[in-house]
Amino acid sequence: MFKSLLLKGRTLCVLILCTLSSLVVTAQTRITGKVIGSDDKQPIIGATVKIKGTNVGAVTDVNGDFTLSGKPGYVLVISYIGYQAKEVTVDGPSLGTITLEVSNRALNEVVVTGYTSQLKKDISGSVAVVDVNDAKKINATTAEQLLQGQAAGVTVINSGAPGAPSTVFIRGVAGFGNTTPLYVVDGVQVGDMSQVNPQDIESISVLKDAGTAAIYGVAGGNGVVIVTTKKGKANTSTISYNGFYGVQEPLSGNVWHLITPAEQSTLTFRAGDVVGEKLYPGGPGTLPTYGYQGVGGGSFGSSGVTNDPAVVALYKFDAGNPANDFLVQKFNQAGTDWFHEVFKAAPTEQHTVTASGGNDKSIYLFSLNYVNQKGTLLNDYEKRYQVRVNTSTSALNNHIRVGENGFVAYEENNGGYNGTQQNESGALAYTYRELPIIPVYDVSGINFGGGYDGPTGEPLGNGTNPYMMQAQQSTNNAHFVRVEGNIFAEADIAKHFTVRTSIGGLLYNQYYWNIGYNPYSNYETHTNANGNSENEQMSTNYNWTNTIVYKQSFGKHNVQALGGYEQKDNHGREFHAFNSDLFSLDPNFVELGQGVITATPYSVIYQPIAVESFFGKVDYNYDGKYILSGTVRRDAVSVFAPGHQVGVFPSATIGWRISQEDFLKSVTWINDLKLRASYGELGSYGDVSGGNAYSQYNFGFGSSYYGINGTNAIQQGFFNSQIGNPNVTWETAKMSNIGLDATLFNHLEFTAEWFNKKVTGFLFSQGLPATTGGAVAPIVNEGDVKNTGFDISATYHGRVNNDFTFSIGANITTYKNTILAESNSTNYFDTSPTHGSSDNIVRDEVGHPMSSFFGYQVVGIYQNAAQLASLPGYAGAAVGSFIYKDTNGDKQITSADKTFIGNANPNFTYGVNLNAAYKRFDFTMVLYGSQGNKDYNYTKYWTDFYYTFTGGKSQALYNNAAIVSGTGASAVVTNPSATLPSATYQQSLGSNAVSSYYVENGSFLKCRVAQLGYTFDPGMLKRIGVNKLHVYVQATNLFTITKYDGLDPEMQVSLSNETGTKASSAYGVDYGAYPNNQKQYIFGVDFTF
Amino acid sequence: MKNSYIKFIALGSVVVFTLTFSCKRLLNQEPVGSLGATVLANKAGLDGLLIGAYHMLSGFSQTNNDGATIWSAGPDNWSYGGVGSDDAYTGSSLTDQPPFIQIENHTMDENNVYLNEKWVAEYNGIQRANDVIREVPLIKDGSVSAAYGAEAIAEARFLRGVFHMEVAKIFRNVPYVDENITYGAGNYDVPNPGPIWDKIEADFSAAMGATKGAALPLTQQQIGRANYYAAEAMLAQAYMFDHKYSLALPLLTDLLTNGETSGGAKYAFEPYEDNFNAAHNNGPESVFAVQMTVNDGSNGSNGNPGMTLDYPGGGLAGCCGFYQPSISLANAFQVDANGLPMFEPSVANPGVGSFLYNDHQLPSDHGYAIDGSGNYRLDVAGTFSGTPFVPPSTALDPRIDWTLGRYGIPFLDWGLCGGEQWSRGDVCPYNPKKNVFYASVHAGVTDNVLGWAGPLDNANNYNMVRLSQIYLWRAECEVESGDLATAQTDVNTVRNRMASHHEYWVHTYIDNSNPSAGSNTGDANLAANYKIGLYGAVAGTDFVTLGQSMAREAVHIEEQLETGMEGKRFFDLQRWDPIYGGSEPSGYMAGVENFHIKATIIGRFSTTGKPADAAPDLNGHTFTAGKNEVYPIPQGQINVEAGKLKQNTGY
Repeated sequence: MFKSLLLKGRTLCVLILCTLSSLVVTAQTRITGKVIGSDDKQPIIGATVKIKGTNVGAVTDVNGDFTLSGKPGYVLVISYIGYQAKEVTVDGPSLGTITLEVSNRALNEVVVTGYTSQLKKDISGSVAVVDVNDAKKINATTAEQLLQGQAAGVTVINSGAPGAPSTVFIRGVAGFGNTTPLYVVDGVQVGDMSQVNPQDIESISVLKDAGTAAIYGVAGGNGVVIVTTKKGKANTSTISYNGFYGVQEPLSGNVWHLITPAEQSTLTFRAGDVVGEKLYPGGPGTLPTYGYQGVGGGSFGSSGVTNDPAVVALYKFDAGNPANDFLVQKFNQAGTDWFHEVFKAAPTEQHTVTASGGNDKSIYLFSLNYVNQKGTLLNDYEKRYQVRVNTSTSALNNHIRVGENGFVAYEENNGGYNGTQQNESGALAYTYRELPIIPVYDVSGINFGGGYDGPTGEPLGNGTNPYMMQAQQSTNNAHFVRVEGNIFAEADIAKHFTVRTSIGGLLYNQYYWNIGYNPYSNYETHTNANGNSENEQMSTNYNWTNTIVYKQSFGKHNVQALGGYEQKDNHGREFHAFNSDLFSLDPNFVELGQGVITATPYSVIYQPIAVESFFGKVDYNYDGKYILSGTVRRDAVSVFAPGHQVGVFPSATIGWRISQEDFLKSVTWINDLKLRASYGELGSYGDVSGGNAYSQYNFGFGSSYYGINGTNAIQQGFFNSQIGNPNVTWETAKMSNIGLDATLFNHLEFTAEWFNKKVTGFLFSQGLPATTGGAVAPIVNEGDVKNTGFDISATYHGRVNNDFTFSIGANITTYKNTILAESNSTNYFDTSPTHGSSDNIVRDEVGHPMSSFFGYQVVGIYQNAAQLASLPGYAGAAVGSFIYKDTNGDKQITSADKTFIGNANPNFTYGVNLNAAYKRFDFTMVLYGSQGNKDYNYTKYWTDFYYTFTGGKSQALYNNAAIVSGTGASAVVTNPSATLPSATYQQSLGSNAVSSYYVENGSFLKCRVAQLGYTFDPGMLKRIGVNKLHVYVQATNLFTITKYDGLDPEMQVSLSNETGTKASSAYGVDYGAYPNNQKQYIFGVDFTF
Repeated sequence: MKNSYIKFIALGSVVVFTLTFSCKRLLNQEPVGSLGATVLANKAGLDGLLIGAYHMLSGFSQTNNDGATIWSAGPDNWSYGGVGSDDAYTGSSLTDQPPFIQIENHTMDENNVYLNEKWVAEYNGIQRANDVIREVPLIKDGSVSAAYGAEAIAEARFLRGVFHMEVAKIFRNVPYVDENITYGAGNYDVPNPGPIWDKIEADFSAAMGATKGAALPLTQQQIGRANYYAAEAMLAQAYMFDHKYSLALPLLTDLLTNGETSGGAKYAFEPYEDNFNAAHNNGPESVFAVQMTVNDGSNGSNGNPGMTLDYPGGGLAGCCGFYQPSISLANAFQVDANGLPMFEPSVANPGVGSFLYNDHQLPSDHGYAIDGSGNYRLDVAGTFSGTPFVPPSTALDPRIDWTLGRYGIPFLDWGLCGGEQWSRGDVCPYNPKKNVFYASVHAGVTDNVLGWAGPLDNANNYNMVRLSQIYLWRAECEVESGDLATAQTDVNTVRNRMASHHEYWVHTYIDNSNPSAGSNTGDANLAANYKIGLYGAVAGTDFVTLGQSMAREAVHIEEQLETGMEGKRFFDLQRWDPIYGGSEPSGYMAGVENFHIKATIIGRFSTTGKPADAAPDLNGHTFTAGKNEVYPIPQGQINVEAGKLKQNTGY
């Protein structure tokens, strides 16, 4: 992108010089005009106005005005990025206002591809160009959100947590490990784009096939997202502001469908829960008034429940020694709505001021960005301050250009990371796991209620008060400083040759501290000490790129060739320290030295990853009709053992612009028609770190030290920490792509693509038996997976009259995912464990799609003893428990009867973008949907079965569970329509094994955004010195249409339930994810001086 | 222009060449933050690898490949050896840690996550031991003499034998992994065609060496290391599991004649409770102990983390109420008029493995709660009745009150035990005691670390083998060989420690409100009605008169009483059952287990009138003979071993 702008700048300079010279030579008339855009009716600054057939031209100024010398009869060609070029015949000295039609996918649009840019019409690979102007209307606070629903083939899964990075898949998931695409921001390869201010973004291209992405070789296997940021424009000077303020509303209603405390009391007795019954001495349906526990309870004893208010007077809280506590809470008879105690309406604001401009030698863009986004979850927030400076300057008659692009960002949040909610011990999970009878605060009104203040034996459950959990987040802080960008120099060293060198990268520092409070309100951890942890991370990476470009036309032969050399390297360290037993938790006091250092501080060195690459690309076209390109990249990656480091990734594309052929030129309704195909190879080194090839040894106090002397002075020991595998190498994606691009009837743009992506040797941790020992298994080339599918997108630009224009864009992505091979001998790999069991939810098996749910098929409920005896059974089966399908027909239910019960892959996903403009009003709506995906609603493990930890239980359990009367041979279910096993205190397999009961239809349609805007009359604004003023109101997630019973059907990548590790090998499992379908209402303003 | 062009090319070439060479270094990135195998090829490396192997005796490593939970793989086997038998209940609330509940009520299947973690931990230890054996020949720098290397290998083989014996006890049919099994060799899918006692025996024999002291020394400078006698005891134990009594007998006799600890102390009895007190770690009874340490920088990881959950839910610990001693264990401590155990068959429920002691329910505070006046009274449906609970006057073997916490009996120096009020879940009257720390040294022997249940790691060593077992194993051998008189002598030796030392019995506190003030002394101040007699002291109670069969029961119940709550019971029952060659009648283990379940399902009435058991999760479950004597092989291991591993019968 950079280069294209610079080249353009160079051309412009030449043009201007020519214009001046032509004035001298011929006596011509002065011709003026004004160029505006059809979209916002605003002046277009910097549009090129050129006399056809000459190099004479001009550029519009800040008011969109231009002046040049010419004479009637001349044809002027007016062009600007993002608009259709327009030809106007000079018919007088003033041409008045010339309106350029918006052209989102204009053929002459310059598209930034790998290391170069090309005209859209000359591209024969698969590149999705995100219409940034459209996308920005969504008012994203992180840049990945701009991609969602905007580009066919790109799946973006956002978290509802503020500032949380999104998960992006290009053309589906094709591997168990790291499937994140490569992000290239202003030519620098970075790990994500979430830190780029969306307002700074000029363009986003997504390279989807090997034809385009192979130039990134071993880094391109998961697709490439190329982002360029805005630059200043020569001879202009603008200051613009855009900002918005909005409020996000939490989901409403009884989101977990929980029962009331009184119903819970009834249910406890129905289940025969003898411990739980201690909470309700008055019997089924009754509720006690107070719960208490501790020392000094006098006649009340040390714990229990009572209706006697005298117990309140005994209340004692001793922060210094919880063993002295006597805590009392007054039960919430109506039930605490934990979800809405912690999820509140949350404001978001974002402000960006951008100043840009330049003269004919130097351009600059300077932007300041402030984001303050509160999460709907109490005390979740993200604050970001960012300064971007993009400048470049030229010398030696514009033959040498130097510049930089970069930002410094300071970010602050509460240190909670996105993943903590997709987990059974996140605050979100506790909104259903904490009993509703528990109040937010105990009788002190200051200290929190919880499972401690009640009878022993834990009838109040072992959950954590989620309000307490989040309230205590207020003293957790994480601070991030990032410096990211590049500096570059570019020179035209000879005719047709340009060399460029760029060094860029990221300096990153993170510091966070967490205060851990004494969890006095919890049953299990009442006396645990408080503490504090301090953590720091720093990392650097650099990316040095050198390219040479040759560009020349010989008659109708047009050639562009690129050669390059690149180096990447990264380093980093972490440091962690802890203390405990602080006498005050005042955040202004808490320092490491203020407590007892009980845990050993430790640090971590990141394994450096270095990549060295050579690459080349040739683009050729004949007369704009036949297009050929070839790419090859040679990468050497340090993460593999010598001998396995070097990979060569070739690709080739072919294109035929049929519409340029004579036989089609007469077909007026075909404006453009192009057929293209590509094939090539890409790579990925996934999550392999440099140690993977080596057997390594390590030591640790808790891992290998031992009190061999019989004292606490333990002796150092070593252990084999990592099994090395020197034979591992990159995974290879072989991709074929066939595409058709068409522009029809002057209004309809259409692209359809078929792709086949086969990943061989995808990298994943090898499943090893315990007989290999405790060392970490190496990541190996685990198997093959294939994605085949279609991406189709179409946009129709309509115009009813001068006042009313509209466009409708739609895209649809479909892919079929199949695992072709796995190197392990079982041909499957299980993941996503359930609570306290090695029973997994997901089985990734050869011949099946990834993330397939594997469990029992529920076919009913055993209605009576006769049925129990006659139907295949299992250990723990009883009248009133699930009947599972005997899939192998062996007359018994064993794990051999587990079967595939659905998978998380959609049949297709789709996006619809609607734009309309009427006079000064504009309207935008973006819809996004997914069809045919299944969600595994694991939250039901906690709420729909009685025999799980005590906690909130669901209406489904209360109303639809089997009710069994009688015992033994006379046992019978009295409600034959029951859909759930009977509420019982006795565990049985039927209650909660992985089964089809949890699998739900996860299809959805979301109204991602609806926006209504108004642009003020520029004439009126001029008087107050403003060029442009646009105001809008917007609703985000206005509606979600789904049958899914959980919070949000759009499922984030699953975290392994207990370890919290993200795994692409499993998605679609709901462990209690931060919803991303919360409504948000925004008011925003854009104006330009 | 032409000139400059060439210059650029020349310059560019230089740049490219320079880079190409410099990048050899760029791409050669050695692993960071860890050691390569070559760094360890010296004495310090060898020593460290051996210590690392010893570390795995704790069953826990912070590395991420051996299971996430810390309480699944401790050396004490509280779950597999205790909860899985008639020794103990899971405890806690009945929805807590389902995998342990499955072990308790014998519904565990091949997906039981903790069984897998135990398996993984032991093989981790095995390969760490193998790393030592593999490292010795790699050391060429002269820092390790042949003798030193051989001794290191002897210790490694000892540890390898111990780890294999752990999995063999639990799963029986397990792979044997020696130093030739490596990832690099690709031979790691090791099958489990049958028991591996012969290979375990070979490891211990090698550790002992051809002659005394030839391999493992008789004493060690570092007391945590295995000595010759530790290996001899382990070999004897392997023979006991292998039912080779005649091979075990001479080893046991040598141990009792000549045996000494690694520290050089002659094996001798000490006060019973000292075996369970961190202040007396590595005493003369300690044949081989897992060293537990705290406040050592490990954040509690070395303080027997496997027992983290196993402290009374009430009292000083506050968490987590797992591992509750069973009603049948408490009943077993009841004695007859002669102070001998009641091991004859039950009268009420005669059958294999049923014992008379369970016909006599030891009165407990099961079903009691504090009433409105602060009295501890029977609570039925919220209605209090009867008089406040007082500990029963039943005659009891004095070891009971070191083995389990009962209401009203001094609980170490914590104060009087709260009984059922201390047991989380409030349904079981007994609390674990042997593994619990003393309040006075709480800070010194426990780890004060952050996080959940952090303060509950402590420095009490776990004795894998202690002296009483040597005596009782020998008694077993003698019973089987028909030498009943000598067997009686060995059993009496164990009993006599308590019988002749009343000062080892639990006495009342000087001041109940200030337990740190210590205990009274003298028989007038005993905490309960203790009585322990010797076999043969009263006519008709000697082994010869009892006959081989009853003598066998006498030895077996002695092992139950002496090592109760030490995680050994399940494996002893398995050893004695004839299914694998034991001498008890067919169906013995199932009989014991099912009678234990029956003894548990008694008690009070809940508000709805349904019986509330001391362990409600046992209700409706049985132990299946021919299946539950061993645990299922973890399915995940079967899956990943490509069909080489076979599941145990019945699973």
